[in-house]
Amino acid sequence: MAFCTGCSLLCDDIVVDLDGGKIGKTMNLCRKGHAHYSSIGSGRLTPCVDGSEVGVEDAMMAAAEVLAGADNPLLFGWGASTLEAQRAGVDLAKKLGGAIDDPSSYSQGLITEKIIAGDLPTCTLDDVRNFADVSIYWGDDPSSSHPRHMSRFSYFPRGEKRQRGYEEDREAIVIDVRKSPTAQIAADGFFKITPGGDGAFIEALVASLAGKIPKVEDKKRMLNLGTKLRKAKFGAIFTGQGLAHSLRGDLSGFVSLVGKLNEITRFSVIPTLGDYNTRGFNQTLFDETGHVNSVSFKDGVRHGREFSIARLLDSCDAVMVMGSDPAAALPAAIAKKLERAAMVAVGSHRNMTTDFAKVSVPMAVAGIEAGGSCLRTDGVRVEFDGLVRSDHLSDVDIIKRIMEAV
Amino acid sequence: MAGGKELTVITYRGIFQEVEEARGMYSDGYRDQSAVVALDGGDMKEMGIEAGRPVHLETASGDVVVAAKLSEEAHPGVAFMPASPWSAQLLSGEVGEDGFLELKMFTVRASSGEGRVTSIEEIEAVIRAP
Amino acid sequence: MISVMEVYQLLPKTNCKRCGLPTCMAFAVALISREKTIEDCTPLLEEAKYEKKLAGLRELLAPILSADATETGMVIHPEKCYGCGNCVVACPVNVASDPKGTAIGRGPVSGKAILMVEDGVVKCVNVDECRRFGPEKVLCNACIATCPSKAIEFI
Repeated sequence: MAFCTGCSLLCDDIVVDLDGGKIGKTMNLCRKGHAHYSSIGSGRLTPCVDGSEVGVEDAMMAAAEVLAGADNPLLFGWGASTLEAQRAGVDLAKKLGGAIDDPSSYSQGLITEKIIAGDLPTCTLDDVRNFADVSIYWGDDPSSSHPRHMSRFSYFPRGEKRQRGYEEDREAIVIDVRKSPTAQIAADGFFKITPGGDGAFIEALVASLAGKIPKVEDKKRMLNLGTKLRKAKFGAIFTGQGLAHSLRGDLSGFVSLVGKLNEITRFSVIPTLGDYNTRGFNQTLFDETGHVNSVSFKDGVRHGREFSIARLLDSCDAVMVMGSDPAAALPAAIAKKLERAAMVAVGSHRNMTTDFAKVSVPMAVAGIEAGGSCLRTDGVRVEFDGLVRSDHLSDVDIIKRIMEAV
Repeated sequence: MAGGKELTVITYRGIFQEVEEARGMYSDGYRDQSAVVALDGGDMKEMGIEAGRPVHLETASGDVVVAAKLSEEAHPGVAFMPASPWSAQLLSGEVGEDGFLELKMFTVRASSGEGRVTSIEEIEAVIRAP
Repeated sequence: MISVMEVYQLLPKTNCKRCGLPTCMAFAVALISREKTIEDCTPLLEEAKYEKKLAGLRELLAPILSADATETGMVIHPEKCYGCGNCVVACPVNVASDPKGTAIGRGPVSGKAILMVEDGVVKCVNVDECRRFGPEKVLCNACIATCPSKAIEFI
């Protein structure tokens, strides 16, 4: 069986025909996973320094030079890296006295931190498959982002206590600002909210759970939802970017709602995270520092939004981006700062960030060209081997080589 | 361009955009999946924009031309746009007082656009410009 | 989904019975279920005044007659498919024959699955096992109702 790092579900039932070491027919890969597998053949990054192609070793030495000469380097990315590379990345940040951050600082980092710290109850996706009778997708559209979420775990499969199939045994609730493909499946379970309306929805749901009249247009429907959740035997809430952004970092209402649900029955929270090993980075950094992102090792361990990529680019003097594309995802004003920074980009494919980098270092695609380990979006550790031979170095080998040279 | 209609844009990710991204960001396929805005039917009528035609989107931070798409749902005053380098040109990059970097929701002025959809190379050139 | 009324509107509506059925409405139903073919309606083929209707009917029924349609009338639109496997895991035939695979959300392992995802897109094999096939057929729609992108339809 092969393994897919196309998203954080880390599907491990993939069948791949290897035709003379090349990827042939695949079974069980979703559309996105299949594109991920196919991508190893095109658009690969080449080793470059100041726009000229060089050997990989020279590129790594140039990268080390950029980082060693900096007073305040930022090491950013890490969601699409193995646990081994993440561990080495934290060590590199410590050695450099630099900062380290990942895209969770502008997405679901706070939710993940509360889960890792034990402030939000969680469970595994296997528990969801075996026991969950109510799945709530909140600002989350896994049908698009994690296509096999509903079929492998959260809605359609049979499980230990869920033997009768989704129609009788499970309920899907979708809370979103648009009728997403996931909402399409949930049909009557779709609650459409206004943009930024998640906080108000939480208040109404809390009221409804307490048997009070919720302050919403359709009071009856909200009361019915409250009743449904009260009766759930094992509930799961899957959070997405939509919820994280709408709450703007203030999770108090959400935490309190989950607390109230757990006074009545059992509800767990699992974030639907983007990169295949975002959870791994958050856990690795938390184990080391007590924080999931935005940490500086300049004077001991410091944490705060001032060490997130959005703020730090004004004061850092070198950036290393590891397997990520912040220049494409972040506002143009921040992309401009990245473009002007002394930047090293390590990645498998060309993207806007690698286009702007002074030094680019190509790496293997983990799970296809290199082995390693990582944490699934629910925190379950998974180990995997490479599938095909590749001339590309693995992510951990690149970080270790750079670390030796700084 | 002065005037235009004020819309609240919400970004999202679609599977075919991610499929095209895996194939390569510098492709027509990625642009076709990313440089689009899904509009409410009534809003389109009011602005005189037809599906598939260029729409000019502008904020204080930047502007792009993307293709109009008709939403199946009605959502007057709201538009949906894939999160991409195109939507990123419209984001302010200012960190709010609560320390939060807004990436999902912003206000644009939208109007019927001239010419063709902005290319990723043009976006890179704007970012590189002094 | 093609409706009976749509088909009926494109028939002569004379109830001439030359197809062997009592009414044009019955013939419309038979066309959709593929028990009859357009050629069974001789007036439509032979009389010039029905030329437009004939062309319209051929166009309307093209998906049913295409090679894409399996014998159950299932049409998969690969360009819309997410490869999510919802249909694979929801299909009662798959679940019954594959307790260690599709029944628990994984790829098929029993060799008896009729829906599976190959190269990122769903495909249908062993169609004669589908519950919509054969004399005992039932109008199961598990693979349609669970699809996030309307990539499967029955015609």
